[in-house]
Amino acid sequence: MSKGKKKSAAAWLMAAPLYIFTLVFVLGPLVYMLVLSFLQRAEVWGVTSQVTLDNYKNILTPVYLRTFAESFRLAVTSTLLIALIGYPFGYFMAKLRGGWKRAAMLGLMIPFWTSSLIRLYGWIVILRSGGTLDKALMALGLTQRPLKLLYTYPAVLVGMVYALVPFMILAVYSSAEKMDWSLVEAARDLGASAPRAFFTITFKLTLPGLLSGVILTFIPSMGLFFIADILGGNKVVLVGSLIQDQLNQAHNWPFAAALSVVLMALTSLMIWFYRRVTHVKELEGIL
Amino acid sequence: MKKLISAVLALALGAGMLAGCGGNANTGSSAPDNSAAPSSSDTAPAGDKTLNLYTWQGMFPQEVLDGFTQETGIAINYANFDTDENMLARLEAAGGGDYDVVIADDYIIQTVIAEGLAQKLDTAKLANWGNIDPVFQGQFYDPTNEYTVPYGSGVQTIVYNPALVQKEITGYGDLWDETLKDNLAVIGNYRVVNGMALKVMGESYNTEDTATIEAAGKKLLELAPNIRLIKNDNVQDDLLSGEVGAAVMYTSQVTLAMLTDPTLKVVYPTEGVGFGIMGTFVPSKAPHPEAAHAFIDYVLRPEVSAQCFEYMGYYCTNQAARDLINDAYKPFLLLPDNIGETEMIQPIAAAAEEAHNRVWTEFKTACGG
Repeated sequence: MSKGKKKSAAAWLMAAPLYIFTLVFVLGPLVYMLVLSFLQRAEVWGVTSQVTLDNYKNILTPVYLRTFAESFRLAVTSTLLIALIGYPFGYFMAKLRGGWKRAAMLGLMIPFWTSSLIRLYGWIVILRSGGTLDKALMALGLTQRPLKLLYTYPAVLVGMVYALVPFMILAVYSSAEKMDWSLVEAARDLGASAPRAFFTITFKLTLPGLLSGVILTFIPSMGLFFIADILGGNKVVLVGSLIQDQLNQAHNWPFAAALSVVLMALTSLMIWFYRRVTHVKELEGIL
Repeated sequence: MKKLISAVLALALGAGMLAGCGGNANTGSSAPDNSAAPSSSDTAPAGDKTLNLYTWQGMFPQEVLDGFTQETGIAINYANFDTDENMLARLEAAGGGDYDVVIADDYIIQTVIAEGLAQKLDTAKLANWGNIDPVFQGQFYDPTNEYTVPYGSGVQTIVYNPALVQKEITGYGDLWDETLKDNLAVIGNYRVVNGMALKVMGESYNTEDTATIEAAGKKLLELAPNIRLIKNDNVQDDLLSGEVGAAVMYTSQVTLAMLTDPTLKVVYPTEGVGFGIMGTFVPSKAPHPEAAHAFIDYVLRPEVSAQCFEYMGYYCTNQAARDLINDAYKPFLLLPDNIGETEMIQPIAAAAEEAHNRVWTEFKTACGG
């Protein structure tokens, strides 16, 4: 008995730094942000100790509410596109043979050795007027003049999909890889057509991967604003851009904090609702 | 195990993406010493052997920094910030210490002085004080010239490519023209952009009347169809590549654009020109004030100054350096006489500031269509 107790004390000691780290560096800033969101901004710089709900009321201004709607619209559209591209990719990657599979995994990872910002600038080179894509299209005779592709909504979508699709691929891949393919063979033996076997067996067994891939792409896409800023020319105004403006230009930290709190609460709520509907218990590929 | 590895990889890639968010998303800059707080172990007032310089990246040519070290034996720690606001936040956290020389924008210096974070300069230690061009002194942020030495000035101008724009542009009002549809870039500073509408309406940049600011916002919505992009860094690239035909930009960007393509036209808007000054100050608890003064004086030397302005591409604030500037640069680095009326953008009341923010967010959203 006493031995067991000692053991658990030791285990606790081992884990303590992790808990302390989490408390200080995760919970600490969150609490700070929450407190800040109820304070009043000072006239020019900093905050006063006066408690107020004005920052939250301010969010209800239509122009600021629209940034939430815009963030949501972009997140949903990107997630749908990512699912359409990432699911087949992950699925077929799992069906590759050993060496090819490793090569595909490596190919997926190599771009991430470069900063995401640099890779976005690569997209600028491709999309800008007279850029790589324009030159290619004109050489093929498909277009006569440079198109204005950069700084548009589709350009932002391309950037979002590009940045987040690996999360979906990995989730679907790990789901498909551990699937028992003999079940599909059995279905085919019993007379099911290929599409029917896919939808009744494969799709259902890989669904957890797809569903957790949706979470893994949806959450970041609610917050990724720098893609919209860079490829959208700052014309797609997301909550993230608004928060940045409030911090860097307007010196209104309490309002920025309130926006962040609401964004986090909304995202959590959506995830909770999503998990209730889909019954995703564990994040495939992550846990 | 395999799954664990993929999990770790996935998390690492997520972290990389978050890191992308953290920095200033508009700049591709990442200096190695970006956020390093300098060491302040050496606090002896006399015989300072280090100098902690804190400003944006790319404010001094390396030869100037090396020249100072060679002459005085004082090593320079060049730490940089990406926004004035980050500078003030860090200076505040350090209680006015850590840094010896800071160069930042006029409006933030007003707050720095108000918060007691700057010390008065000892002009007896600045032999070259007389070289400062008085045009850039006695401004709102330091009316009695006790705290700052100007280091470069900039104006917001319209630059356009006559080959891509049908209309002759002379002022902000022309930017509203229908022929400029989807053909205009503006810098991402809401006081500057909202200010264009204020100027067209004949108002001041610094009006605190919220009704006027909102009226400017309405006016600005009519400009939205012409806006192709809004961004702070390297706007000149989009003008040079032909992405846009006209752009509202800062002086250093204008210099870069004109040096690359001299056929571009620079317009000082007839409605009035907004201009700003970058100021050098010594924080209140600077660990090496002696070195700080020595450095400021060194930079005020005419030949050093000329080198700095040619490198930065901002208007020369040193009257003794004017003649030393290379002729090729003179048109961009010397403030022209025919610039017309000028006004500096100053801090305004919180209520007016919030009106500006609503207007700005609405405008950007409208630009997206």
